[in-house]
Amino acid sequence: MGVSPSRAHPVSRGRLCLKGWHAHELMDNSSRLTRPLVRRGGQLVEASWSEATKAAAQGLRDVLSSEGPEGVGVLGSARGTNEDNYVLARFARATLGTGNIDCSLRLHCFAEPMELNGALGPSANQGLISDLDDSSVILIVGGDPTEENPAVGAHVHRARARGAKVITAFARRHALGRVADVHLPVRPGAELRWVGSLLNVVLVEREGGDELAALRRHVAELTPERTEPETGVPAAATRRAGEMLAEASQAAIVICAAMALSPQGSEAAAALGALGRVRSAQDRPKFAVLSLLSRNNLQGCRDMGVTPYLLPGYGRLEEDADVERLQRAWGTPVSRARGLAAWEMLGRVKALYIMGDDPIRALPQQAETRAALEGLKFLVVQDIFMTPAAEMADVVFPAAAFGEREGTWTSLERRVQRVRKAVDPPGEAREDWRILADVSGSLGKPMPYSSPQDIFEEIVTHLPLYAGVFYPRLGVNGGVRWQAPQAAAPEAPAAAEAGFGEASAAAKTNEQRPLLLAADPTLGAWDGEVTVSRTLSVAAEFTVSEKDYPTGMLCVSPADAARFQLRSGRPARVVSDRGEQQMRVVVSDEVPEGVALVPYWQAVRMQVMAVVTEPKTGRPLLAPTPVSVEAPK
Amino acid sequence: MTARVLPLNRVDEFVRRLLAAAEVIAPRRVDGGDVFYGPIASPGEVAWDYSTAVEPLKRFLLPQREPILRFSTNGKLEVRPEYDETERVFLGVRCCDVTGVSVLDAMFGGEIVDPYYMARRERSTFIALTCQQPDAHCFCVCGDAGPFLKTGYDQQWTALKDGMLVEVGSERGEALAAANEDLLLPAQMEHIKERHRLAREAETRFGEYHAYAAAAMRKLTTAEVADEVWQQAADRCIECGGCTFLCPTCSCFTVTDRWEAPGRGVRERHWDACLYSCYSREASGHNPRPEGADRMRGRFFHKLSHQWAQRNGRHACVGCGRCVVGCMAWSHMPAVSEAIRRGAMP
Repeated sequence: MGVSPSRAHPVSRGRLCLKGWHAHELMDNSSRLTRPLVRRGGQLVEASWSEATKAAAQGLRDVLSSEGPEGVGVLGSARGTNEDNYVLARFARATLGTGNIDCSLRLHCFAEPMELNGALGPSANQGLISDLDDSSVILIVGGDPTEENPAVGAHVHRARARGAKVITAFARRHALGRVADVHLPVRPGAELRWVGSLLNVVLVEREGGDELAALRRHVAELTPERTEPETGVPAAATRRAGEMLAEASQAAIVICAAMALSPQGSEAAAALGALGRVRSAQDRPKFAVLSLLSRNNLQGCRDMGVTPYLLPGYGRLEEDADVERLQRAWGTPVSRARGLAAWEMLGRVKALYIMGDDPIRALPQQAETRAALEGLKFLVVQDIFMTPAAEMADVVFPAAAFGEREGTWTSLERRVQRVRKAVDPPGEAREDWRILADVSGSLGKPMPYSSPQDIFEEIVTHLPLYAGVFYPRLGVNGGVRWQAPQAAAPEAPAAAEAGFGEASAAAKTNEQRPLLLAADPTLGAWDGEVTVSRTLSVAAEFTVSEKDYPTGMLCVSPADAARFQLRSGRPARVVSDRGEQQMRVVVSDEVPEGVALVPYWQAVRMQVMAVVTEPKTGRPLLAPTPVSVEAPK
Repeated sequence: MTARVLPLNRVDEFVRRLLAAAEVIAPRRVDGGDVFYGPIASPGEVAWDYSTAVEPLKRFLLPQREPILRFSTNGKLEVRPEYDETERVFLGVRCCDVTGVSVLDAMFGGEIVDPYYMARRERSTFIALTCQQPDAHCFCVCGDAGPFLKTGYDQQWTALKDGMLVEVGSERGEALAAANEDLLLPAQMEHIKERHRLAREAETRFGEYHAYAAAAMRKLTTAEVADEVWQQAADRCIECGGCTFLCPTCSCFTVTDRWEAPGRGVRERHWDACLYSCYSREASGHNPRPEGADRMRGRFFHKLSHQWAQRNGRHACVGCGRCVVGCMAWSHMPAVSEAIRRGAMP
């Protein structure tokens, strides 16, 4: 068994990342779940499909009758197929009658445009990855695509080899930042302020052009000189970056997924996204804006309605026509309730059904998440491995992984592609949609689907956005992209109304707390992730922060190391107003002075960082936090 | 060992005869348009008009995952090695790929003989197909591995107007020709001249990539490459493993044991990549090559140094250009070889 790349594919073009080359190791992996499990006498024991399905249905039925539909919740999968997620959305809104459906990884997405700006339109990229190929200037904000989406990173490197200029803006001077033409070490918490000053140069300095007049007014005073003290970026460097963008005939802006986890990251992304309205001399969009996603089917998961405030296909809960369309398709009433988000469900619902999702890893304040899961009356988990959540479950269903089943995924370019079956699933593992259909049947709401293609035909028939996605074309050469309506980016995003972050998202450092600690999602980005940690070749590469720095990897600059007498490999006690943590130090010139970085995936386990709530969406985000750091005696 | 000509209208018959006696691996066009080397069931499946295959021949001699022994513990411990003893003919494969096999031969058939590799290798016959139109990423001339070979093949075919010129380069190749003499005609001087003309012309058709291996080898071997170069190369590498897995001469592997059922298990070896951060990490946590720069230096030393060339009989780059295609950043052989010579990465 093995994996080969495809040169004919329009995005990968014959390249595979580390995970790609070893993805097949998921399939006959001896840690896979192979039989249903039911909790008896405090232990999970093997059971037949019939027993486990009945137990799942009974447990859900009990909680529904005592708590009502508001008392149950469903979490769907950013790594599962469109078909699985569509059936899950039906399971939630039609079978359970609840609006509490979400995916933990939606926390890692920017707030939907319609939430931030009231603009209609699905969350989808207008820009394409291939736009990078034609760009003479590429700005990369908020992360490192070579780490998060290597397929995109490869296009950046090739454009650079052909002469494109690369500008990176991120606190840490990451891998791409080390080869960029300009690297801007934007201080954590000041991203929005910095974007305002960049827009000041791009929009205000330009001659002519009526686009974005309102936005231009808002940034007129936000010169790089004015914002330099807060952003930590030398004014001349911001000016240079802005001028490069303004003078390019064709440019690209890549907004990395990691930025979504910064406070005000959504507003910064929306402001940058507004540049999508600028037209070039050839009357084409001058700036291709590409917003990256952190999982293979996060786009599809959203498209299929695994969100508490939308129906599948971005149907509106308030729109009778959208609701009726689904009721006709499913032959049952459909809940129009605006439900709880993943981060709200934990602690409020009494029963949870988790399909291919990892709330313990993805949500901040891990201790609370664990406690909430333990406190549930009933928990069902269906997944490919025994995840930490599955260990607490009352019923566990073994699911088929990619390569073991048919289905489709939708990429960040809206590209719908088939995932094909190459081998049989191990043991008794089954496709996710089939498991859901059986449980639904046991709850009195049968779902007569016969195959993933069958489900897909229904999606195409009833979701207007997917009309024209012709199944036979989905198997080769990059599939088919669904047509995003030309919803123009807002002229003046909400960020502008908010004055481009008058107050930085970070509290100020002072003598007592002299360093700003930020959670960096690009450090150890895949450590502990369920598909990675069980596959031999890949796991070995993603264990450094867990193996060598289990209590926390604290990255500091050489200047700060000297100032606070810290040494690589030695412990350091980090104290904030909220709490403290003993970590181990890495001294690195990638870190700007005055800032300390810890992997986001470790920060969620600590009690050190402040948590802020994103206005309008309620997303809980770890905020850069002033800390003191000392080497214990 | 004289050259022959296989007339065009007899090629399919020749292939049918090969199919009757062995598994035939040839270039095949798959859904979507990629060409891969793979087993064919009929002569019509051979994609004679291809330029290059996505992957080299390595998979057929050293699979990405290979069971090397099976063990069972029911009652008493039993251990059984597992060998692949399939007879294979590699038909219409490129010269660069055939040359790559000779480097694998040095690794697995040298001082320490690898029985798994040799079981496959000894049963393999190579019929190279010379290349008249290199792909944009090709530079086999730099690798002394094509587009036409002087030696190192069992048979080498060149597509001429009337048929295939069949050059014989080994006893195995001669035996194959002799067994099919009824299909072959003696080659005339005009055929030989045409073959040489096509070779010269192919050499003028290469694109922008090259790796002046000799110059790079000199600098590398005499330790004239600054540390800074390796750091720059590492900055342009994301350690995906693509160059390693696509390279015809890379052969590193790791070994794991896995239970398949209670009491029954299998030992497998898997492709590994020296660029991976944990490739040489030890159980203690110590890593002899802790930085990307160390690993880049190690990789290119293995590919280009005189010390390794002595062991292999040649340097380890055949110029197939697959690292150029498969690199997810910009640290492939042409880029690094140039950096070795010039002192800085682009």
